[in-house]
Amino acid sequence: MSTIASRPRKLALDPRRAGIGRTLLTAIVTLVMLGPILVVFWLALRPRLYTEITGPTLETFAYIFAETDILLWLKNSAMVSILATLISVIVAAPAGYVLSRGRGGAVSAYSLFIFVLQSFPVVVFVIPLFIMFASVGLVDSLSGVAIIYVASSVAVACWMMSAYFDTIPVTLEEAAWIDGCSVFGGFVRIVLRNSLPGVLSTAIYAFLLAWNDYLVALVFLRSDDRFTLPIGLQTFFQQNQTDWGPVMACAVVMLAPPVLIFALLNRFFSIGGIGGALAGK
Amino acid sequence: MTGLALPAIVLMVVVNAYPVVFAGIQAVHDGDLLGLGNFVGFANFQDALTDPLFWRSARFTVIFSLCGVFGSWMIGFALALMLKPSFPGKNLFKILLLLPWIVPIVVSSMSWNWLTATPGSLLPMLAADLGFGRVMFLADPTMAMITVCIFKIWISYPFMMMMMSAALEGIEPNVNEAARVDGANARQRLRYIVLPMTARSTYISWILMAMFSVNDFATIFLLTGGGPVNSTTSLIVLAYRSVFQDFRPGFGVAISFLMTAALVTMSVILLRQMRKANMQ
Repeated sequence: MSTIASRPRKLALDPRRAGIGRTLLTAIVTLVMLGPILVVFWLALRPRLYTEITGPTLETFAYIFAETDILLWLKNSAMVSILATLISVIVAAPAGYVLSRGRGGAVSAYSLFIFVLQSFPVVVFVIPLFIMFASVGLVDSLSGVAIIYVASSVAVACWMMSAYFDTIPVTLEEAAWIDGCSVFGGFVRIVLRNSLPGVLSTAIYAFLLAWNDYLVALVFLRSDDRFTLPIGLQTFFQQNQTDWGPVMACAVVMLAPPVLIFALLNRFFSIGGIGGALAGK
Repeated sequence: MTGLALPAIVLMVVVNAYPVVFAGIQAVHDGDLLGLGNFVGFANFQDALTDPLFWRSARFTVIFSLCGVFGSWMIGFALALMLKPSFPGKNLFKILLLLPWIVPIVVSSMSWNWLTATPGSLLPMLAADLGFGRVMFLADPTMAMITVCIFKIWISYPFMMMMMSAALEGIEPNVNEAARVDGANARQRLRYIVLPMTARSTYISWILMAMFSVNDFATIFLLTGGGPVNSTTSLIVLAYRSVFQDFRPGFGVAISFLMTAALVTMSVILLRQMRKANMQ
């Protein structure tokens, strides 16, 4: 009896031992891959040049908050990114619904329209938008920049929403329609209500894109008080090339929000499904 | 139902389609940033296609995109395979390994700059200690190309990892199990089961990554600015410089249009083939 009982236990132990080996291997790979990010944190603790401090210090953070406009850049970046995220989701959710449920020539044409527009680089949009925005006072304004972020994230946002709606059975809305619900009502009350992960996923994508952009902010934001983090940080970097402590302290401030958001919401994030929306069914 | 797409269509017409049309008009004029200038027909396109720098940039764009697509796909796929079975700490690693994609490029380009830029940086010192002599990661044209490509792979592999992880989830465990019982080894299972069953996601992720790589301005511009001696100037960097440094928007837009035309043609052919092959 005892030999029979011990056998399965031994079999059950083996995969666990393999699991620890895999943990170790993955840990090593992760450490190598994250090297350049660890460097940021390590350098942020480096004392400023021409100070008495030796050894790792948090004084660099005190310095940047006191001596640079980083809080302002942070506020600007947050406003732009949140605005862009909200508009992107509000616009992409219904459009993604059409892509997911719609059939026929018009929907295919719409799908191709999105794909072709997404293929153009932002450089192409920038000057016409600059001229257009100049006539309505949106140049050097945070709302103007937010609109361009929406423009550059909306295509993928539509695909992501569509991919999520694909996982919700049509029968749910059909039941609602039979009960007298309108198409719009069915979309909002049935589909959207069950799509929190899809909405969050799309929102995270739009937020990351807006938060991480460099080119649009570089072209459109001119006055110091409207700088977002990428531009503020890049300017600060150019002025203090060799003073890595404060520069990397700013970098830590910039990477913290997207990393925190991702750490909290990652279980909702899924981009793997966008292929279906892109390639057609 | 199609009415629900109206907000997106209006938005995209105003901020995407209209600028593209306007840019198309700019492409056949010789104006500067302020005025449209005179109609010049296809002179901008002709200038671009006869400019040696255009072809050099096109060559680097191809190299950069091929590295971006296949380099990051191989690493991303390998990591997705590594993270597939359950083991202690799996979910934590899954998040940590996405960080290069989440951290802003402005930040990661600074840390790569610190790692590589000057002879006193970490990697050049390491290379010297290992007996490679003075390796100029960003100052030597060939090394700069390699460094930028590796930087791109590092930024992009998490996207591939996410795409391929999702594809791997789609494989029924018992298919793999059946093959194992029939005596297929790990390599055979990869070749005859995993690769074919994830082929659709693979192709789609290639198309998307090609699109992202060709249009990727910040990765190159922030690390090398397109130098040294234009060795890492891609078409998008060249277009940016033509517009904002040489003030020739027509020329810059013409370059972008040629680039996008090639990109869309390639993607459409790939998508067609995918549909023809009727992939899973």
